[in-house]
Amino acid sequence: MANSTYSNIDEYGFQRSDDFDYKLYDLFMSEYMRTLARRAQRWSVVYKDNNYKKNKTLKRFVRKGIPIDIRTNCWMEISGAEKVKNESVLSYQQLRHQYSNQIVESIQIDLPRTFPDNVFFANQQALCTMLYNVLAVFSHQNLDVGYCQGLNYIAGLLLLATKNETATFWLLKTLVEQILPKYYIKTMTGLLCDFEVLNEIVKKHEPLIHRHIHGIGMPWAMGTTKWFICLYADVLPTETVLRIWDCLFLEGSKLLIRVALALLKIHKDDILKSTDLSELMVVFKNMKNHPRVLDCHGFIFDVFGLSSKLTNNKIEKLRAKYQQGS
Amino acid sequence: MANRTGTAQRPNGQTQGKICQFKLVLLGESAVGKSSLVLRFVKGQFHEYQESTIGAAFLTQTICLDDTTVKFEIWDTAGQERYHSLAPMYYRGAQAAIVVYDITNQDTFGRAKTWVKELQRQASPTIVIALAGNKQDLANKRMVEYEEAQTYADENGLLFMETSAKTAMNVNDIFLAIAKKLPKNEQNTGQAGNAQGRRLTEGDTGPRAAGNCCK
Repeated sequence: MANSTYSNIDEYGFQRSDDFDYKLYDLFMSEYMRTLARRAQRWSVVYKDNNYKKNKTLKRFVRKGIPIDIRTNCWMEISGAEKVKNESVLSYQQLRHQYSNQIVESIQIDLPRTFPDNVFFANQQALCTMLYNVLAVFSHQNLDVGYCQGLNYIAGLLLLATKNETATFWLLKTLVEQILPKYYIKTMTGLLCDFEVLNEIVKKHEPLIHRHIHGIGMPWAMGTTKWFICLYADVLPTETVLRIWDCLFLEGSKLLIRVALALLKIHKDDILKSTDLSELMVVFKNMKNHPRVLDCHGFIFDVFGLSSKLTNNKIEKLRAKYQQGS
Repeated sequence: MANRTGTAQRPNGQTQGKICQFKLVLLGESAVGKSSLVLRFVKGQFHEYQESTIGAAFLTQTICLDDTTVKFEIWDTAGQERYHSLAPMYYRGAQAAIVVYDITNQDTFGRAKTWVKELQRQASPTIVIALAGNKQDLANKRMVEYEEAQTYADENGLLFMETSAKTAMNVNDIFLAIAKKLPKNEQNTGQAGNAQGRRLTEGDTGPRAAGNCCK
């Protein structure tokens, strides 16, 4: 760290882990800064009117990363959250006055337990209040979901990225109610179903990995619950997560499966080398440290390069198959 | 073999003969201190605000017991009710469980009893279950009496201790007590190399519970 340009806290306030590779990160960032500047310039030309019409150009642009200063607005547009917001009978401010104190206890318990090491959450009471508001309003306006642990991390990172409570609420609502399968309802059926979908996809695309993980006896839920529930927040490096979310908002929940497959492929050698469950879990735990995962730009390239045949259609068909079976 | 207590090797450099590996699962209501107990036991640390666990966390810790090295493979599970359906994969095949409640919250004790019942019905019939009344440092806000929990533990054949992840009270002790109670026979011994073989032996994994109507 001593020789690095970068501190041990990232720009979103997260502590970098003790084993963070600053040298590698310096190297990556020296290149990535140029990429960011180039992308910002391109966006300012092509999308100077903030008109994000869904087409191939937009997809290409989003996959290459949304510039940080327009991210909030762009997320609102491409996810459909802006539409949800405009069509809602009640505004966020009105919704804020609608909730009782029913669910709040479990949210309050989790507030200080959401990114406790993050310097912004640790030092800004206002941010914790915003998180509380978003989660309380969301839980009360969707009683099928209520409060599910994991939503605190998603809302927390949305807040850190957007610095905007209202946008965070509408983005969270759109994610949970429109973009993602039924991960967070009380039975978590969408989550259980996606483990089956992932299993089938890994079996088809990476039979060696599938056989090995199956042989060791690791249920997918063991290694990947947090991947799906937190949309990789608190799993992968922050910038990598935000780049995944750029694409998730535009392209939908197939992204989560594609990212999972890419992660498995990147760690194929380590997975195949593991001889028991405990070694395999260490591989899963350390995935955030892989150079290719740290390099968010290269990683997104891998996500689309390594799993190009996984269309929404194909994944939806598999989901339908396993939902029927369950 | 790495050993944090530093006594795995005899002073004369000879390694100890017997190494046992056990799968241990922590269960209990959200925010009772499951992750904090594990963090205290494995790393000797305590965070006032411990991140809420999603899914489950996996950690290992090794302790020495007389002439045996005991390696715990610890599954620290999520407490929220809706993650309940994922719990069986963690306690299935587990040789030990710590069911945790918060002594300042009566509801969490009720939830702990539910977990004990479920383990008695669904887990391995030989599983060693310990009941931990955590947050003992907050005894002035106590809502669950020590005697009440002790009586319940006695009636159900559970190990019982009140613990504090914050002050470290009884944390190592409860794991040690479990280690003492676990059978250190052939089935559980062996170097890491043949752990896979062990894991695949019949009866070690999978539903073994007799009279389990769900299977």
